[in-house]
Amino acid sequence: MSMEKNGSMKLQGRDLMNIGIYAAIYFVIVFAIAMMGYIPVMMPLLCVFVPVIGGIPFMLFLTKVKKFGMIWIMSIIMGIMMLLTGMAHYALIVGLFTGLIAEFVYKSGNYKSQSKAVLTSGIFSMWVWGNFLPLFIDRQNYWSSRQSFGEEYITTLNSLMPSWLCPILLIVAFASGIAGGLLGKALLKKHFRKAGIA
Amino acid sequence: MIELRNVSFQYGEEDSAENRGALCNISLTIPRGQTVLLCGESGCGKTTITRLINGLVPHFYDGKLTGEVRINGQEIKDQPLYDTAENVGTVFQNPRSQFFNVDTRSELAFSLENRGMKAADIIERVHDTVEEYQMEYLMDRSIFELSGGEKQKIACGCVSAGSPDIFVLDEPSANLDMKSIAQLRTMIEKWKRQGKTIVIAEHRLFYIWELIDRAVYLKNGKIEKDMKPDVFRRLTENQLHDMGLRASTETKHNINHAAFLKSGEPLVFKEFVYGYQKKENVLDIREMLVPEKEITALTGNNGIGKTTFLRCVCGLEKKCKGTMEYEGKVYKRKKRLEEMFLVMQDVNHQLFTESVLEEVLISMKTEDQEKAEKILYDLDLLEYKDRHPISLSGGQKQRVAVATAIASERKILLFDEPTSGLDYHHMLQVAGVLKRLKNMGKTILVVTHDWEFIQAIDAHIMKLDEQTAERRVEINESEKFHTAIV
Amino acid sequence: MKTEIVSSTKDRKGIGLDPRTKILLLLMIAVFVLGGAGGSALVWARVLLACVPVGLLFASGRVRTCVIFVSVFVAGCFLQYFLLNKLNGFLNFIVLASAGMLTQFLPGLVMGYYAVSTTTVSEFVAAMERMHVPDQVTIPLSVMFRFFPTVGEEAGNIRDAMSMRGIFFSGKHPGKTLEYCLIPLMTCSVKIGEELSAAALTRGLGAPVKRTNICKIGFGVWDISFFVICAAILAYWIVTMEGNVQI
Repeated sequence: MSMEKNGSMKLQGRDLMNIGIYAAIYFVIVFAIAMMGYIPVMMPLLCVFVPVIGGIPFMLFLTKVKKFGMIWIMSIIMGIMMLLTGMAHYALIVGLFTGLIAEFVYKSGNYKSQSKAVLTSGIFSMWVWGNFLPLFIDRQNYWSSRQSFGEEYITTLNSLMPSWLCPILLIVAFASGIAGGLLGKALLKKHFRKAGIA
Repeated sequence: MIELRNVSFQYGEEDSAENRGALCNISLTIPRGQTVLLCGESGCGKTTITRLINGLVPHFYDGKLTGEVRINGQEIKDQPLYDTAENVGTVFQNPRSQFFNVDTRSELAFSLENRGMKAADIIERVHDTVEEYQMEYLMDRSIFELSGGEKQKIACGCVSAGSPDIFVLDEPSANLDMKSIAQLRTMIEKWKRQGKTIVIAEHRLFYIWELIDRAVYLKNGKIEKDMKPDVFRRLTENQLHDMGLRASTETKHNINHAAFLKSGEPLVFKEFVYGYQKKENVLDIREMLVPEKEITALTGNNGIGKTTFLRCVCGLEKKCKGTMEYEGKVYKRKKRLEEMFLVMQDVNHQLFTESVLEEVLISMKTEDQEKAEKILYDLDLLEYKDRHPISLSGGQKQRVAVATAIASERKILLFDEPTSGLDYHHMLQVAGVLKRLKNMGKTILVVTHDWEFIQAIDAHIMKLDEQTAERRVEINESEKFHTAIV
Repeated sequence: MKTEIVSSTKDRKGIGLDPRTKILLLLMIAVFVLGGAGGSALVWARVLLACVPVGLLFASGRVRTCVIFVSVFVAGCFLQYFLLNKLNGFLNFIVLASAGMLTQFLPGLVMGYYAVSTTTVSEFVAAMERMHVPDQVTIPLSVMFRFFPTVGEEAGNIRDAMSMRGIFFSGKHPGKTLEYCLIPLMTCSVKIGEELSAAALTRGLGAPVKRTNICKIGFGVWDISFFVICAAILAYWIVTMEGNVQI
């Protein structure tokens, strides 16, 4: 075992590089899936697809996590990326909390427990939900500037995204994250261990 | 001064069966200013020694380490990597994966920035380095636009800018052509003149053979020979080959081209013109003949479009409108994509499934287990049929890719630098596979700048030429190139 | 998604904005255009902000991207206003919802594209340092930007290999296509990433000293102008708020 691991639990250069590399892989995959969101009917379904597929790189990432902070930083970075790609700041705010909780959950399993890893994947995935918040928050004001679209348009869009859907999406994101974690766990065993990268 | 005392190392967790690259009781002292070559077959442990010196073992690659490694008296085990970095600079094998920044100037400054040097000093140091190694034309460019040779030049520049005492090079020439290798040699010469200590792990010997003060030959993790110049310079080519090493002189053998084109109908490639957006054409081939059922080697310097040409030939570049004529038929892009198979330089991109057998089966029009096993048997892969392709060695992976091409009944096989970074025996193994394919009646086109390999496969040679003024690349007509080459 | 995503400084044209200004503009667009803050009173600000990325792209010589953006945006608006009551039911809903989503998200996306494609990794790092963002966030972020083109290259190679093998979607095992794509993509990327880490560490990344940065960033006339515009919008917003709680 290398001494860095016996040494301080502070994040080292290598850990920070790992976060960056896995964040890139995770984001590229998520971004590719998110392209489907431009078909409006698919939009709510992103809450399912992103966590399920994202669970695969995320579980691989967890095999590199041995110190406190890596998951949290990953979550913050996803938030910053949403901001930079013009998806607003809500995912960053949500991610600040869910990432920290995910961090504590994985830590409670000594950064080893497989079942805790799956749970961590579920909690981490909830950042996705933040992207839907602009559609729910302050709806009245939002539509007041878009009266010209007509009553029918607003009602149809509202019926696609009724307020009660908001908490449901959060639960869906969590559950899908669990599913993604399980999928990732299966693929770790099937592929990545044999490739010597997990 | 580098001192290794009774060093043993094994990668991974204890008792792992994997013994590749392990070291066993190595003692080696390299005095200041010496230029040392570490040589030996793949997996002999020479890369591991470079990692001991730059501290990546044990700080990055986990494993079981015993013994002492001291650099200038300081024990490496007790020193964090960033401190070792001030004394030891490393050039790695893969030019694609050693840059932290995307633009070249920031990369030259990177190691100095990490030390917290004053900005004005850094700018001056970078300026001096650029001047000394004539790299102005590479400055402020994206590393993704550079050729392998240019990247490796930047990598050497980065190390120089940090001005360490010790330079470590881990197979720096593996992906380079002759021209870039000559430039690499010039850089190493300069460091040597500056009195730096240089440690090079390398398969290709010819370019440093006259430069080194000492050659250390490793076998199975042990130092088998530690030779002075008068000893190693007397080694004959055959002795080197027996040791699994490559030739010590640039191979310039006469190659017999008498059989050219008499064997049958040639494949005619027409109008292969290709350019990236807005820029001029990097590839401009009006007509080219390739003999059928033969091996043809395509050579030329880095960055003049050899890989692009292969991609155009097999139909991967949608914008390239060239056609191939063969046996009276015209093959357009889509058709070529079905008839040809390119074995990529990084074959990992081409393997998708979870077992070797499945990999072959999904390539067949109708899945036929018996036939698949026959193909695997022909390529010495049958015993690995249930293994995960990822877990195989590089050469085995390459053969699996070839097996999929045979399974899908491709007539024409293309290879992109199949021997880069291989020792003598592994190179011969690849040559054997190509010859077997030829005997099966396949037409083979291989991009390579490995002259020993070209000799081993007894190939026809075509050279891609560059007319720098117009940035055009043309293929000389087949008869002409033979003289153009050597 | 290839090499254009992280830039080098050569051939750079147009208004050289400080990375911090780009981030501010992104935030403004996120809050006002995407979030719709300020309601109908701030329509002018929304229009103005939506025009900002157009101007910047145009100035930096990316005329093609600029034209595409404007035409898609105009098409989106056109659909919203003119087809509104001409279609019924499901079709109406699909068209309008798509158009609405498009006009809402597009300016932010284009601004994001501009920001990422005109900033080098080390300029970004310098900006983050000036904003006192800790290294624990800055280093992973810069590694990530550096790594995007690499992942893109790997994905391209794998796509090529698949089309050559003829197993891309049309294959015999459509259910497995995703696995066939993702596994080599991740394996290859992780391996390159490991080599990248090793190389960066031998160049002293992570030393406990204050890193220097040689690239020059700072505010110019354009930066200040954008700051003034943003401040004006914010001030107007606060004045017209009438005590509503906003985000």
